Amino acid sequence: MSEVIGKMFGWFNSRLPIVNTFERHLSKHPVPSKVNFWYLFGALASVVLIIQIVSGIWLIMPYSNTEEEAFSSIEYIMRDVDYGWVIRYMHTTGASMFFAVVYLHMFRGLLYGSYQKPKELVWIFGCAIYLAMMAEGFLGYVLPYGQMSYWGAQVIISLFGAIPYIGESLELWVRGDYYISGITVSRFFALHVVALPLVLIALVFLHLVALHEVGAGNPEGVDIEEFLDDDGVPLDSVPFFPYKVLNALVGIGVFMTVFAIIMFFFPEGGGYFIEMANFEEANPLVTPEHIAPVWYYSPYYAMLRAVPDKLGGLIVMGSAVAILFVVPWLDKSKAASIRYKGTYSKLAITLFAISFLTLGYLGTVGVTEVRKTMSVICTFIYFSFFLLMPIYTKYEKTKEVPKRL
Amino acid sequence: MSKTNISIADFILMKLIMLGILVFCVNNLFAAEGGPCKDYGDCDKFKYSLNDMESLQRGASTFLNYCYGCHSLQYSRWGRVAKDLQIPEDIFFENLVFDKSIKPGDLMTGSMPKEESAKWFGVAPPDLTLVSRVRGDDWIYSYLRTYYEDASKQYGVNNLVYPGTAMPNVLMALQGNQKLVCKEVPMLAKNGGEKRDDFGNTITKEKCGILEVEESSGELSKDEFDKLIYDLTNFLVYVGEPAKAERERIGWYVIFYFLIFTALSSLLYREYQKDYH
Repeated sequence: MSEVIGKMFGWFNSRLPIVNTFERHLSKHPVPSKVNFWYLFGALASVVLIIQIVSGIWLIMPYSNTEEEAFSSIEYIMRDVDYGWVIRYMHTTGASMFFAVVYLHMFRGLLYGSYQKPKELVWIFGCAIYLAMMAEGFLGYVLPYGQMSYWGAQVIISLFGAIPYIGESLELWVRGDYYISGITVSRFFALHVVALPLVLIALVFLHLVALHEVGAGNPEGVDIEEFLDDDGVPLDSVPFFPYKVLNALVGIGVFMTVFAIIMFFFPEGGGYFIEMANFEEANPLVTPEHIAPVWYYSPYYAMLRAVPDKLGGLIVMGSAVAILFVVPWLDKSKAASIRYKGTYSKLAITLFAISFLTLGYLGTVGVTEVRKTMSVICTFIYFSFFLLMPIYTKYEKTKEVPKRL
Repeated sequence: MSKTNISIADFILMKLIMLGILVFCVNNLFAAEGGPCKDYGDCDKFKYSLNDMESLQRGASTFLNYCYGCHSLQYSRWGRVAKDLQIPEDIFFENLVFDKSIKPGDLMTGSMPKEESAKWFGVAPPDLTLVSRVRGDDWIYSYLRTYYEDASKQYGVNNLVYPGTAMPNVLMALQGNQKLVCKEVPMLAKNGGEKRDDFGNTITKEKCGILEVEESSGELSKDEFDKLIYDLTNFLVYVGEPAKAERERIGWYVIFYFLIFTALSSLLYREYQKDYH
């Protein structure tokens, strides 16, 4: 019996690189032997991606993408579908946790220089994933067709109108109607469940293939490829299976505990994960008192509001994401990790983190004069972190990076 | 040696700048915004108890007797409410469902036509299935208890939580006539205690806008009325998310599972880590 199976496997393996691919990407793939918790968020992001895809597929089944039924079909899922609430809360919690994990993953990249040569493409694919996620999240938020879905979409789509010459027709083209309607909902549904997931999966695939080509980094910024054993395996590495898998499993356990606490006890996240106004069906005649985006867009929303001119705000907001793509060429430092970079880099990244968090807070609250000034200052710090990077990383004194982990 | 000194100075400078920014942020950002309970100030806190079936049953009864005439619960089904609240279906349909053509699987779509009611009240009474999720339970609990006499309004009443509300005080017969009055209240010292003069008498000042029910003008005492509103709010929290009690029950098991999962995987990880440490 086992001989037959062995033969069959051999037949497949000589026609399809099963063993090779498995060993290269999963089992024997060498990873640095010493990393810290910051290196878990990539694995966690893939866990959330799977949660989102699976729960998403189940949500599509009872969801109705029409103007009349979109909102009530969500309540149908929450009430009449057996354990529909589990699936839905999994998806809404997953959305917020996806961004939480990806923000931490990106910050790890900035801390330890995970974009430096030769990892530029890994970083760029990552930025593209983030961009696709932002679009995916926005489209998904419109689907329940609550008040915040409607008015959030209204604000975001109207941004297209600020583009000179083509703005208004572009706005109309995106919306498919003169105002947000069932047509908008059904096209957003198509993009949310088919188009963008395809893009996301393709990008995640490229992100991983590129990563496995150049090798994973470590918090010391040591190039482990420099010292190899007789088989050409880095001395400071361990195989992905079982060591890295077990490490990730612990992280996944902690993460899923947090996920379950939110999902079962605080699914609305205090109005930050599911906004209270979104429990009211979309009403084009009544504007909510206070329109705020979900927390993961709020830093950019604060930037948008910091600029008085709509087109200017749009440009600032777009540049804030676009600038991430060129970070590999902005960092001139000899050291990759913050541990060996100089004081200016440390100061810069601290100020950057504070200003990003502050912007995040500012984007969720109403505007006052002080808050507006703060938004301008924080936006300025955000961009300075990137734009001054070539200067402060080049002229600061770095510590010597060790050779081995 | 001097090198270390410089880096320590830099370090301290960095922390000082961070602290400065933090203090600035905290002082300026959290400026108070108007709360959801408007003129009432802070909403009264409400703690739901979805496993208290008697409370939910009383709340359902109050809702169906006093509210359902105007407000629908259009996403909720009759039979589900009976089942979740552990009311035998025959008793439920006999005593709480007034339209005998209704079947258990029907949605609670209300008994008043929306267009007509919009004419009568100026606005159609909103559906209340999700009101506890849109407004929050604290808000409902406060709103229903803060009606007061105001002759300038259409129905002779106004509301502190929702000034200018279009809804008359349907529960007035139970609560009695509530008014805004002025009273002498003790002044508080900085330490939270009452301020007293040299002879030990409490210093008072006049405070207005205090809600007070005219004595024995209602069928229920203040406590009984508060209890009634508590049960009603509790029912609205249930209707807002019928799976909530089950969600919180299952949640503990899921968390417990993942804690065990984490413990076991970390033990295994430690064992394997010995290979290379």
